[in-house]
Amino acid sequence: MNKILIICCLTALTGAALAHHSAAMFDLSKTVTVHGTVKEFQYTNPHSWLQVLVVGSDGKAVEWGFETEGPSTLLRVGIKAKTFLPGDKVSIVANPMRDGRPAGAWISATKADGTVYNLRPNRPAAAAR
Amino acid sequence: MKKVSTGSRFCSPGVCRNATLVLLTGGLAVTAAAQTYLPREPGSTANTWDKPAPDTPIPSYYRDSYQAYLKMKAAAHGGTQYLRTSYEKMPDWSGIWTRAASEGLKFDPKQTSKGFTPGPTTADLTPRYKAALQEKLRQVAAGNEWDQLSDCLPAGYPRWLTEPFLREFIVTPSETWWVNEQQSEARRIYTDGRGHIPDAEAQPLWDGDSIGFWDGQTLVVHTIRVTHGEYQRSQPDYSSQTSTVERIHQLDHDTIEDEVTVWDPKGLRTPWHVVMHYKRVNTAGSRIDMWSCETNNNVVRTPTGGSQFILKGETVTIQRSYKEPDTFYLTEAQKKLFAEDDALDAAKK
Repeated sequence: MNKILIICCLTALTGAALAHHSAAMFDLSKTVTVHGTVKEFQYTNPHSWLQVLVVGSDGKAVEWGFETEGPSTLLRVGIKAKTFLPGDKVSIVANPMRDGRPAGAWISATKADGTVYNLRPNRPAAAAR
Repeated sequence: MKKVSTGSRFCSPGVCRNATLVLLTGGLAVTAAAQTYLPREPGSTANTWDKPAPDTPIPSYYRDSYQAYLKMKAAAHGGTQYLRTSYEKMPDWSGIWTRAASEGLKFDPKQTSKGFTPGPTTADLTPRYKAALQEKLRQVAAGNEWDQLSDCLPAGYPRWLTEPFLREFIVTPSETWWVNEQQSEARRIYTDGRGHIPDAEAQPLWDGDSIGFWDGQTLVVHTIRVTHGEYQRSQPDYSSQTSTVERIHQLDHDTIEDEVTVWDPKGLRTPWHVVMHYKRVNTAGSRIDMWSCETNNNVVRTPTGGSQFILKGETVTIQRSYKEPDTFYLTEAQKKLFAEDDALDAAKK
């Protein structure tokens, strides 16, 4: 049975979202879901980035980057420095870049064991399927 | 009872400058400056050499806020005097705090919003600052938005009040530090009876020059000498003549309230009164660490004044010119607005 963890007691990330720069590069009206393998988790200020290798229909892997807030804010939704390790399978929901490059504003992550990390917890969980 | 004078403590910028010239041309700068400082008091942790006298004159554009502050101080009979020996009677604001998430990044929590789009500002802006806000919002709608934080600069006060992330209060009898983990940016509020920095030695500061007193369990703060900036992204701008009075107190175990009134002769027609809240963070492991903005800051300004990433694996060529220290991080609209402020002041002289 998949374990579902939706941490919903905090609303910290909504207010903090993209606090270090404009969000204009993201299309906040759209979401994308990608499935891939963690390459690197930059758990740092000013922004954390989850780098994910996504294999396309042509069989080639493309590196996507998903941006979110720094460690202290992520800790409040249960994400720690070693929550995502290289090689982990993940599905990510994000607001995509307007210019189509492989990156986005990270909304939620689902790990292979079904654990869901909702980075905008005062909104309905956007579990990847 | 300690008497609080409400006499003239202001100087116009011209008068303050003249006083400076007298000191410098008289060759007595060091001696004269030393006379403006008080001796260190027993128990004070403050630096004796940085303790301006309580009645140190400040520019006239701070008059209204300072008089409001002095009125509060008089009503508090000069303020509650705490010493090291009575430290246990001071408020215990220890722990980790963060801005109430329900208030978002808005300067006034009462401002409405629809999704990511802010509603009308509650600030009573002057026509020039109102026009500047409208232009800013037009540029944001067009995708052109730049934040000085993306240059790894501090938020600066009063915008600092709106920033999320972790905060701490370090309360002592002589000064209180209010720390935000973002950029490791700390405000220092002196409650040892000192006045503001003398005009001859003053310049705009990222977090201003703050003095205060305790009214029982409430910290009352007067802040001047800020740098120009914006209250937050998609919020109005403020001039370097902005000043504030704050009343900070704990509402309940998990909430600290800051009642802020802002005066800005350039940007506001009437004072802007807002009430902000900060909530206790109970997440295990929460701790404020050094915040180094450059660690993975890959945001760059676009030719149209917008913000964009350099993604991993990408290489871009950036054209960069000399950084003028007071303006390089501003938008073109802000540069124009604040240059107009300076021109108006120059025209008055």
